[in-house]
Amino acid sequence: MNIKKTIAIMTTLTLTFTAMTGCGKKSSTETSGKADEKITLSVLAGQSTTDAGIEDMIDEALAKKYPNIKLQWECVDWGKDFQPKMQQYMQSGLPDIMIGKAQDIATYGSQGVLADLTGKSYVSNMLDAAVPGVTLNGKVYGVVYNALYQGVYYNKKIFKDNNIQIPKTLDELKAVCEKLKAKGITPFATHFIDGWSIGNITMQFAINDVFNKTPDWGDQLRAGKVSFAASPEYKNVYEYNKFIYDNTWKSETFSLQQTDCDARLVQGKAAMKVSGSWSIQNFLNVDEKFDFGIFPFPNQTGDSKLIFEPNITIMKSAKTKYSDAVDKVLEVMTTDKDLQLKIYNFTKTASMMKGVSPTFTNPSQADIDKYAKDNMIVDANLGNNQLKWGGFQEENAKDIASYLQGKMSLDGALKASDARKANSK
Amino acid sequence: MVLFPIMLKGVSMMHNNSLKRSIFLQYLSLILPGLMIFTFGLVIPLILGFKYSFTSWNGMTASKPFVGLQNYINLFKDKYVLDAWKFTIKFTLINTVVQNFFALLLAIALDGAIKAKKIYRTIFFLPALISSVIAGFIWLRMYSNILPAINKLLGTSINFLLFGNEKTVLSGLLIANNWQWIGYWMLIYLAALQSIPAELYEAAKIDGASVFDKFLHVTIPMLAPAFTICIVGITTGSLKVYELMVSSTGGGPGRASTSIIYLIYNTAINGRQYGYGCAMSVTLVAVLLLVAVIQLKFLRDKEVQM
Repeated sequence: MNIKKTIAIMTTLTLTFTAMTGCGKKSSTETSGKADEKITLSVLAGQSTTDAGIEDMIDEALAKKYPNIKLQWECVDWGKDFQPKMQQYMQSGLPDIMIGKAQDIATYGSQGVLADLTGKSYVSNMLDAAVPGVTLNGKVYGVVYNALYQGVYYNKKIFKDNNIQIPKTLDELKAVCEKLKAKGITPFATHFIDGWSIGNITMQFAINDVFNKTPDWGDQLRAGKVSFAASPEYKNVYEYNKFIYDNTWKSETFSLQQTDCDARLVQGKAAMKVSGSWSIQNFLNVDEKFDFGIFPFPNQTGDSKLIFEPNITIMKSAKTKYSDAVDKVLEVMTTDKDLQLKIYNFTKTASMMKGVSPTFTNPSQADIDKYAKDNMIVDANLGNNQLKWGGFQEENAKDIASYLQGKMSLDGALKASDARKANSK
Repeated sequence: MVLFPIMLKGVSMMHNNSLKRSIFLQYLSLILPGLMIFTFGLVIPLILGFKYSFTSWNGMTASKPFVGLQNYINLFKDKYVLDAWKFTIKFTLINTVVQNFFALLLAIALDGAIKAKKIYRTIFFLPALISSVIAGFIWLRMYSNILPAINKLLGTSINFLLFGNEKTVLSGLLIANNWQWIGYWMLIYLAALQSIPAELYEAAKIDGASVFDKFLHVTIPMLAPAFTICIVGITTGSLKVYELMVSSTGGGPGRASTSIIYLIYNTAINGRQYGYGCAMSVTLVAVLLLVAVIQLKFLRDKEVQM
C-alpha cells in the first residue's frame, strides 16, 4: 500500500511538474547584464526559398565578434508560416529578432510590436532606396538586407537563335509566343501547382498595369470607389494569367514543382518564366554557365517597369529585454562585408547594403543595370502594401487557378476578389 | 458496558471515513495531472474558441469586437465553406467505404495460410508509420515525376497527373490516404479475426454451413466491435484530413481539395479572420460529435443484435 502510495504521489508530482513547465513561458535568454555574460536571442526567420542556410553564416560571423551572443533560430517558410507564427507570438511574446519581408513592416509596425530603429547607426548602412519601404509614420522599423528583382526571365540562347527582340508591348509579346510555338518551343515555364506563383505573377502584372498609374488603388477599393469587376485594368491583369496559361505546358503546370520548372527553362524546354531572383539559385545550380536575362512583363501601354522587392528584412521586438545585444547582431550583419558577400553570393540576390556588391556571375545584372539607369524600376511594395498577401492576394490566386481550369468565370473571379475587399489590408 | 459497542462502532466509522478519504485522495492524485492537461489543453481552448467565434478578432489586436451571431450567419452564405464541406464529406464517405473494404479484404487474405504473410503484413503496415506530411510529398513526387517517367519508359500515355486537375485531385488524395492507412486498419481487423474461437467455425461446419455461410454468420457478427472501431476511426479521421493536403496539393488546384480544416486554418491564421475561423471550428466540432454519436449508437445497437 505504501509503495503504491509513494508511486502514485511521485507520478502525480512528475506529471504535474511536467505539465506546469510546459505551460510556462519559454525564456529566450539565459543570463544578461554584464557585457561578457552569455545571451541567447530568439530569432524567427521567415525565409524565401533562397535563404535556407544563411543562419549558419550569421552564427559564424557573430561568434567571431560577440562570442557571448548566441542566436536561437526558428526558420519557417515566409509564405506559409511566418504570419501564423507572428500571430501566435503576438499573444505569447515576440522573439527578440524577426526576419521577414519589407511588406511586414506595414502589418506589424502598425500593431506597435516592432522597435523603432530610427537613428541607429546600422540603419545608415542600408541603401537609401530601401529606407522608404521600411518606414511607417516617419519611423524606421526594419533593416532591408537584400533585394529580389521580378520580371520575365528569358533564355538568351533561345532568343538569339530565333532572332527574337525583347518585347515591350503585349502585342509584341504575343508575336514572340507565336514565333516560339511555331518552332516547337514552349513560350513560358510555369509551376502553377504553387498558388504563390500565381499570386506573385498577378501582382507583377498589377504593379505595372494598375498601381503604377493609381498608387492608392487598394485604398480606393476599400472606399468603394473602384472594384475588380469594374476595372478594365484589373480585368487585363487576370486575363494575363490566361495568356500565360495558354502559352505553357497546360497539362503539367498544376503538377510541376518549381525546381523542375526552373530546370526546364535552363534546358531550353521553355523560353521565358515570369519569376523573381529566387529562381537564379535554381538556374545556376542546374547549369552555372546558363545565360539568361530579364525584362519587365509588357503592359498595355508599353511602359512597364522591372520590379524590385526588398526581401530579407530584419526587425527588432519592441519589448526585447536585450536591446543592446540585438543592436550588436544588426551591427555585425550590416558591417561585416565578408558575411554580406557570403550571403549575397549564396542567395544569388542583390545587395541592399552600402558598398557591397555580390561577386557571383549574374547574367541578368546587365539588364537590371540598364533598367535602373533608365529609371524603369518600381518597388513591389507599391502593390503589396495596398493589397495584403495572406488572406487576400493568396485567396485571389486560388480563384484565378479555378478560372484557368474552367471552374470559374473571369467575372466570377473578379467578383470574388471584390467580395473579400474588407480583408484586403 | 452499553456504551462500549457504540464506541467501537464510532471508532470503526471514523476508520472507514479516513480510509475512504485516503482512497479518494489517491484517486484524485492519479487523475489530477490528466485532468489538468485536459482542462488547459482542451476545455479552456474550446471555451475560448467558442467565445471568440462571436467576435471579429483578427488574431493579433488586443481588441476583440463582439459581432454576435454574424460569423455563424456568414458561414451559411459562404460558398467556400460549403465547397470545403462538400469536398470533406465526399472524401469521408468514399474513404470510409474503400478503406474498410480493403482493410477487411487484406486482413482475411493475410489471416489465411499464405506464405510469408508476416512480411506482407509488415509491408502493408509500414506506410502508417510515416507522417501524413511525408505521405503527401511521396505522392506528389509519385504523380508528377515517378509515374510519368514509368509511363515514358513503357511508351504508355496514362494520365498520372492526378493532383493537377480539379476533376482528378480527389481520386489522387484518396489513393494516397488509402495507401497510408489501409494497413493500419487491416491490423485491427486481423486482431479481431484471430480472436474468433475456432469452435464456432467447427460448430458451423457440423451444421453444414458453407464457407460463405460461415463468413456471413460467424465472421461478420464476431467482427462487429472491430467494425465499430474502424468505421468511427476512419470517418472522424477523414473529416479532420489536413496534413496530407499541406504537402501535396495545398488545397488546390484553386480550392478543389480544400478540406474544412484546411479552410479553417487558412481563414483564421493566414487570412487573419480568427473569429470567423473559430465559428467554423465550432461547427466542425459539433458535426464531429454528432457523427461519432450517431455512428456509435447505430453500430453498438448492431453489436448487441448480432
